[in-house]
Amino acid sequence: MTPEQVQTLITDRLSATACEVNGDGAHFYARIASPRFDGLGLLARHRLVKDALKDVIDSGELHALSLEKTLTPAEWAAR
Amino acid sequence: MSIQDSIRQTVTENPVVLFMKGTPTFPQCGFSAGAVQILKNLGANFVAVNVLENAEVRQGIKEYANWPTIPQLYIKGEFVGGSDIMKELFSTGELEKMLQD
Repeated sequence: MTPEQVQTLITDRLSATACEVNGDGAHFYARIASPRFDGLGLLARHRLVKDALKDVIDSGELHALSLEKTLTPAEWAAR
Repeated sequence: MSIQDSIRQTVTENPVVLFMKGTPTFPQCGFSAGAVQILKNLGANFVAVNVLENAEVRQGIKEYANWPTIPQLYIKGEFVGGSDIMKELFSTGELEKMLQD
C-alpha cells in the first residue's frame, strides 16, 4: 500500500475531515481528524480506527499503522 | 487457573504492569523498547511480563483486552493502551498523572 491509499481508506471509512499519512509501504504513521471521535477517550478512538481497518490489517495488506493523532475536528482546528 | 484468570491476577495485584517482548534491560522489539523508555522516564515502578517466554500468555493477553498487539500497559488492573497511546499520554502529561494517582 502507498500512504495515499491508506489515507483514502481512513478518510472513507471514518468520515475523516483531515488525514495525514506518512510511511514507507510497511509502516505507516497517521494523524486523523474525524467527528466520530467526539465523546470518545483515546483508547476508544484507537479501537475505532483499528476496527474500521480490520480487514486490511488482518489480510496483511496494511502491515503496521501507528496512530500519532486521533482528534475531533474541533481539536484538530485548535492545535 | 486459566490463562485469563492468571493475567487478571497479575494486573490486579500489581499497580503497573507492562506486557512486552523481551525484558526492560533487553527489549526484543522497538515498540516494547519505547514503552519501557517512557515508564523509565517517568520513574515508574512497574512489573514487566515477557510474552516471548510464554506462548499462552502471548496469545492470552491479546484476548484479555481484545487488543491485537504488544506492548500493553495496565494501571490498577485497567488496560491503558499500546505503544501509540502510551506515547500520546506521555506527551500530554496524562500518563504521569495516571501513574501518580
